[in-house]
Formats: sequence, C-alpha cells, structure tokens
Amino acid sequence: METKAKKALAVAVAGALSLSLAACGSSNNNDNSGSSAGSSPSSSATSSSPASSPAASSPSADSGKKVKLTFQNIYPDPNTPTYKTLHQLIDQYQKDHPNITIELDTLNTDQQKLKLKTQANSKEIPDITMVNPAAQMKPFVDANLFVPLNDMLDQNGLKDTYQSGLLDYYSFNGNTYALPDGNNIEVVYYNKDLFQQAGISAPPTTFDELLADVKALKAKGIIPMAIGEKDTWTGSFIFMNILLRTNGPGFLQDVADGKKTFEDPAFTEAVQRFQDLIQAGAFEDGATSIDADTGRSLFTTGKAAMYMLGTWETGSIDASPVGPKVAAFQFPTVDGKGDVNQFMLAPGTGYAIAANSEHIQEAKDFLNYYCLNFPKVQFENKNAVGLPQKVDGDLKAAGYSDLAISVMDLFSKVNGGDISFDNTMNPAVSQAHLTSLQNLFVQKVDPAQVAKEHQSAYDANKDK
Amino acid sequence: MNVLKVSALTLGVFVLPALIIYICIVFIPIVVSFYTGMLDWNGIGEAKFVGFDNFHNLLFHDKVFWPAVRRTLLYAVASMIEIPFCLMMAVLLNRYVRKGNTLVSIYFTPVILSVVIIGQLWKTIYNPASLGGMLNQALTTFGLDSWTHTWLSEPKIAIYCIFFVSLWQYFGYHLLIQFTGVQNIPSEIYEAAKIDGADGFKADRYITFPLIVPIFKISIVLAFIGSLQSFDMIWIMTGGGPGNATDVLATYMYKTSFNSQQFGYGSAIASFLVILCLVFTVAINTVMNRVDKKFS
Repeated sequence: METKAKKALAVAVAGALSLSLAACGSSNNNDNSGSSAGSSPSSSATSSSPASSPAASSPSADSGKKVKLTFQNIYPDPNTPTYKTLHQLIDQYQKDHPNITIELDTLNTDQQKLKLKTQANSKEIPDITMVNPAAQMKPFVDANLFVPLNDMLDQNGLKDTYQSGLLDYYSFNGNTYALPDGNNIEVVYYNKDLFQQAGISAPPTTFDELLADVKALKAKGIIPMAIGEKDTWTGSFIFMNILLRTNGPGFLQDVADGKKTFEDPAFTEAVQRFQDLIQAGAFEDGATSIDADTGRSLFTTGKAAMYMLGTWETGSIDASPVGPKVAAFQFPTVDGKGDVNQFMLAPGTGYAIAANSEHIQEAKDFLNYYCLNFPKVQFENKNAVGLPQKVDGDLKAAGYSDLAISVMDLFSKVNGGDISFDNTMNPAVSQAHLTSLQNLFVQKVDPAQVAKEHQSAYDANKDK
Repeated sequence: MNVLKVSALTLGVFVLPALIIYICIVFIPIVVSFYTGMLDWNGIGEAKFVGFDNFHNLLFHDKVFWPAVRRTLLYAVASMIEIPFCLMMAVLLNRYVRKGNTLVSIYFTPVILSVVIIGQLWKTIYNPASLGGMLNQALTTFGLDSWTHTWLSEPKIAIYCIFFVSLWQYFGYHLLIQFTGVQNIPSEIYEAAKIDGADGFKADRYITFPLIVPIFKISIVLAFIGSLQSFDMIWIMTGGGPGNATDVLATYMYKTSFNSQQFGYGSAIASFLVILCLVFTVAINTVMNRVDKKFS
C-alpha cells in the first residue's frame, strides 16, 4: 500500500513539475506567444471570460427569475460624484427588483476601451458596456454587436430628456445604439492669481493675445499651460480648437466627404499656429513624457496658469486647492477668424447593450431607469456640469461654485462646433494624427509636411 | 533512441502534459497569429483575407517599422554587451570581497521591483529641473547647465535614456547568475594553477572563462530574447513617443493592434518578431557552441 501511495505522489509531483517547466519554457524563449496573444482571437477568450459570461440562468422572459446583469463602466474613482451616482442608482434598482443582480466591471477609461475591443473580438461583450460616439463606435455597430435602443428610448419619455442633437452622435441608420453619460465642451481654465502675478488683466480674446500672455507668464517663471501629452489626445484637443477657428466647423467631415484635403490652407495654418504656441513655450518642459493626470496636477497645484480641457474637469478642479481661484474662458479667435461661441464638443461616452446578452429586455429596463434618474442624482451630487440631459434646478441655491456656474453659462452660448478627431476619423487615421501632432512638441516641422502625413494616412485607410 | 530504457507509457506520462500545454499556449497562437497577419481586420468586424499584403507593406513601405527594428536590435546588442561586465564584476567580487553575497543581493534589488515602479522613479529623475528632475538639478549644481536635457522628450536621446534604465535594472540579475557560476568553480583548480604560475588575469582567461561559458551563454540568450520583447519600460516612460522616436517592435505592434485597430497588420509585426527571435536564438546558440568548443 505504502509503495503505491508513494508512486502516486511521485506522479503528482512529476505532473506539477512538468507544468511549471512548461510555464518556464513559454516565458523564457518565446516572447512571441505573449505578444501575439493580444492580437489573436484564440487568446482573447481567456482574458475576457470573467466579466462577460452572464449568469448561467435560463433566458428569462418572466420577471420572477433571477437575472444577473454585468455592467462595464469607467468610473473607478470612489471620490468622484459619478461613482457615487452610479452606486446610488444601482443599489436602489436592486432594492426595487430583488430578482436582478447587477455586477459591476469597473475599469479606467483606457483599460475599458482595450478590454471591450478584446471582448468584441470573441463576441463576449458584457450586458451593458460603454463606448465613445461616432467613428469610435462605428466598427461595433457595423459588426452588429449592439442592440438598437429606439423602443426603450420611447418608454417613460426618456428620449425627450436628452439635449437636442446629442443622440445623433450615437445613431446610425436611424437607430440609436447608445445613451451618453455626458455632454461637454472644451474651455480654457485659468488661475486668476497667476494671471495677476504676470500682470495680465483679462483673459485673451485673440490668439496673439494668448501668445503674449504665454510670454508674460513664462517671464515670471510660471508654466503658462499644463498638458499631459504622453497621452497624445490632449494635444489633439487643443489643436482641434485652432482648426475650428481657422476653418469653422466640419473640416474633417468635408475631408471624409471628399470636398477638402488635409492640404487645405485652413489645416496648414492651424498646424502653424499650434506650432507657434508650442514654440512660444506655452507648455511645460518634457510634456511628451507627462501623462494626463500629472498634467492636471500641475494646474491644480498652482504651478501652471492655464489648463485646457473638457468641462468634465470642472468638478475635480473645484475640489482642488486652486479651485476658488479658477475661472474659465472661451478659446480665442485665431487671426480674426472663427466664432468664440463655437466649441469643441465632447458628447460623452455612451451606455450600450450587447447583442449577445441573454437578458436584453432586463438590461433595457434597467438602463431606462438608470438614464431617467441619472441627471437628478448627478445634480444632487454636485455634478450637474456637462450633463447629457436637461435638468431643472437652481445651481446657486443648490450650492454650486462660481466656476461651475460660469461654465454652465458658457454652455448656454454654444453655437455649434466639432467633435474630436478620434471621434470623427477611423482609428488608424487618428493614430497617425496623434503621433504626428505629438512630434510637433519636440521638433519644428513644416506644416505642409504635417498635412502630407495626414493626407497619406487618410488615403491609406479611408476605406476601412 | 530509448537510452533511458523506460516504457513508452512512462515517457508519455512525463512528456505529454508539458507538450500539450506548450502546444496550446505557444505553438497554436503563433500559427493563428501568422494567419491573422494575412487579414485586413479591425479586430471587431468582418475580416478580409489579403494574403501577404500586410507583410509587403510592413517590409517595404512602412516608415516606422525599420527604425523600430533597429532600436530593438540595438537594445538587444546593448544588453548582451552588458554581460561581460557582469562577469568581470562577478570575478572581482568573488576574489576581493569577503562577503560577496551581500553586495550581490543589493545589486539584485532593482530586479525584484516592478517595472512600473522603476519606470516612474526614473521618469522623475529624468524630469526637467523645473519639475524637480534630479539629474538635471544635479547637473546644474555642478555648473554643467549646458549638459541638461529634457531627457525623455528629445527624440535623439530618449531611447538611450530608457535603455540605460533597463540595463541598470537587469545588471543585478545577470551579475547574480555569473556570480553563482564563478563561485561554483572549485578553488583547487586555481591553487593548482597558481603553482604552475597562472595567477590573476591569466587564471581568469584560462580557468574562469572556459568553465563559465555555459552560464555565460544562458545569460546572453536571456538578455537577448528578453530585450527583443521589451515593452513595459518603454510604455511606462514614453509610450513610444515623442512621435515614434522610442517605438520598438513590441510597442509598435501594440499601437497598431489596439490604438489603430489594425489587428491584421499588428499580427504581421508579431509574426516578424517571432521569426526574428527564432533566427537570433539559433544564431546565438551556434556562435556560443563554437566558443564553448574553442575553450574546452
């Protein structure tokens, strides 16, 4: 008996050894397995399974059955109002519907984008997920991965709560596939104290004034404008404002429609002016190795005088040490061109329901409840700036800051604008654009060359 | 063939589990990735078969690809050149330091730290002086203002700054391997050699090195293959930027696959990387076997 046991033990140990050997073999001499794994379909299943497999319960039409919904979201920070809103709404819904469990798959924005792409690869999208509008969600819609939400929008009058035109960014062929969580515009936040120190009395209204202010701030040893250009989209955001002034709205659409090319004078002029801003020393040294969060903290710790980003930053700036000193202004006109009331628009990130979900109806019901109550709870949680829906309520009476109120005022001035580059062009062209612009931060490039890079990237990828 | 004189069943029991796992997690993905490399595919929708178009574009029309290959190989060579220094250090430690182990453990510390921590740490060291960068501040203190740089943002030097950090991190790793090898050489051999008049450098040349060649080879292969797949350090410190100035094969592959959503093209790059690894592994083994023979 004893020998038998020993033998069994030996086999077990040998098995364990061989397992660990295999692990060594794969990690030591074959990087390629690891690196190619990310891009091959066979491997994606393993990385995506935990979040996406809905409960094994049978497809339930009747409401009494237990249903588990997976809700992939991009609100990981417990200190943000949106996080609180999400949890408040979900807790309430689960209380009202004891048969429904909502499981959260919470990631930060970049991780979520990556995970969703991997899950889409193997058609294992969570019941409810989040996508960026327009060009970024088009591949998902084309592959029929989301269900149309038209019927659900008509329930309880949800559709009418949204600001007019906003749902268009999430609609394809007359169907709406996702419901936005926000609607923001891009403004320039500035630190009034630092402006005063540099002897600047009023925020700039023309691009030349902006350049002059940059020089004045720099002379005082203040970083004129904070940016986190390691995350390339931040620079593109600023550039697009300039393009919006030199051309007016719709440049990228015109390119897509074949009416214009990137070699259009409006585009090269925008590149030139953007380069002027960089060469004037507007941004901190080494900007291309600084990530977005560090960039923000340069502003919120009072080291930088300006910070240009979407109004979703209002809450976190309000809460920072410099909060009371901050105000916002509209991006100035460039060489007398453009309308300051045209803004870069950021129509949020949308909630979508997966076509592969086993509980589409339950997911729709939940999302309907969630979106109907989202603005109210956000308002209570002091996060009414940049909401996708109309809210009634007196901001001042509810205790909102002057900054929040002035930003809300800017919203009322919006007279059209553009959405970001990566929401308009396909991912391959966007990537070329982002790389090309990041390059401007470290070397002078002829604008015609930049335009050419854009055009050839566009020509190579336009059919995709 | 069956020198061990064991039954086929026993052989199977011992070999099969590892073999099956190996095939599933290494071999099959490689084949799939080659196939994906022939697709025009955004990773989500329908894929179109395009034959060798991706490979053709990659090799002949891609302006980012070859510089990335060059940087990858440069890094691989740099990490191989590091190994002889590790060996020299190991020999010196073994000969002149009484408790060499402690020092080796200290050199080893960066290896156990996560790459993310190392990357962030060195990023702050490389920062411009205005943002508290230690290196630039030190240079300014010594009156070497003209030597200051925005280290990670200048396309010409950024990549070398990253290489340096990687080499710094893995110095202790290879030192440990070499040190263990050197310690395992019996001291009787040195004593005998001393009587014959071989001492110091001569002993190293004719005793230490020939006996340590197998260990040396392991370090070389590890360093080479490890650096071909380098990704994390670069991703954390510059993300491949500014522009594409610090992209290596792995980061470029990631960017095309996930940022540009060209999974077919990304897979083509991955396939190239596989071939590169295989070719160089074989080449290094051949060279090393020659060295091995020459010295023993």
